[in-house]
Amino acid sequence: MRNFLAFIRRFRILLVFAFLQAIALSTYFTFKEFPRSQYLTTASQINGQIMVARNELTKHFNLDQNNKALQRENIKLRNKLPQSHIRMENGAVKINDTLFHQQYMYIPATVIKSSHTKRNNYFTLNVGKAQGVKRGMGVFSDKGIIGVIHYSSEHFSVVKSCLTENINIDVMIEGSGQFGLLKWNGHDARKGTMWGVSNDSDVKLWSKVVTRGGGGIFPRGLTVGKVSAKKPVEGEPLWDIEVLYSEDYRSVQRVYVIKNLLKEEQEALEANIPPDPVE
Amino acid sequence: MTLFLKHIGRFLVLGLLQVLIFNQAEIGWGLQFMPYPLFIFLLPIETGVVYLLLIAFGYGMFIDSLSDSYGLHTSAILVFAYLKPMIMKLFSPRDGYESTVENAYASLGFSWFLKTYGLLLLIHHLWFFLLEIFKLNDLLFTLQKTGLSFVSSFILSMMLQFLLVSKSSKE
Repeated sequence: MRNFLAFIRRFRILLVFAFLQAIALSTYFTFKEFPRSQYLTTASQINGQIMVARNELTKHFNLDQNNKALQRENIKLRNKLPQSHIRMENGAVKINDTLFHQQYMYIPATVIKSSHTKRNNYFTLNVGKAQGVKRGMGVFSDKGIIGVIHYSSEHFSVVKSCLTENINIDVMIEGSGQFGLLKWNGHDARKGTMWGVSNDSDVKLWSKVVTRGGGGIFPRGLTVGKVSAKKPVEGEPLWDIEVLYSEDYRSVQRVYVIKNLLKEEQEALEANIPPDPVE
Repeated sequence: MTLFLKHIGRFLVLGLLQVLIFNQAEIGWGLQFMPYPLFIFLLPIETGVVYLLLIAFGYGMFIDSLSDSYGLHTSAILVFAYLKPMIMKLFSPRDGYESTVENAYASLGFSWFLKTYGLLLLIHHLWFFLLEIFKLNDLLFTLQKTGLSFVSSFILSMMLQFLLVSKSSKE
């Protein structure tokens, strides 16, 4: 016993260091996948307020750019209004409303904190559980997708953006329909990687990459970016496809959170798929 | 008491500057400004190492919780605090440190500051980026990030310590 105490006294500093280091590292590696508490994120009440105060000060810097983005979106929507179309045929048109059932709802939000130079970049939004935001919902802006909600507290939420290593969003190439997962290699905030397209398929450069809508997180067909380069992966029959993001993540401010009203139904159905037989 | 308040003040000034300003300044090429370890460096020499580690842990968590890095800064600053006494001893002046003198550039000279603080900061940055990227494939990128960030953080720290360390403490 005396030896043990002597040992502890001798290596006291190293033990304290190792203990604290273990706490820090375990938080780092678990929170990256699944945050358990809000207190270590900017989604907590006090930290959120600090970020709101900072954003109040800096949000006007991009006012001009933001107005243009909103105007562009307004024009896009206005073009779809019946008033802006000429009727080509004078027959009676009957619209059966019950044919359409709303599946996606959109919650407007503002990015109050963001980064783009770290290995994994998280954005903070000013909406939370009070507005109906939950973990796993998709986030997009007028130009393209932003990411997936990672953690939400009462009034704030943290988004795992398209600039994180394992964002793994289900995407496909428009037209040909080849699909894969979106990844980010940490080097350039304008470019992501699409993983999983077989190299016997013909991938055209500058074809559009859109969401596939498989996981029920994003609706089908939201813009992600364009194919800007492709090269074969060594040792695997796959293309390494470089995607030039359509959204500039360095200056994103106005976003929408997607609420999928049928997600529970889809998940309940998919839970019934029988597991693969074990050999 | 005034000494205590002075260090609390530095904690807040350096911590908030890091979180609110330097974290937002994103220039590219992997350059990140991280002068925040200066607070740990400016703590009195006679501080016990265990206390030093505990203070560093709290300081790191403060910065982590405001920059969504979940313990990355904490881990790096703990390494900084753990190595600080050893490196200070290694480069101590011939007659040892005077307890009243603050370990700053102004009182002990540039070459001493570069050797101690520079070395500690380099280890801190290297640890930080190795953990952040966590892939040996990207070693070159890690080193590029470390090198560029180290130079800019060091220059920033030097300017900041002129602001934070009052001349009167030189006597």
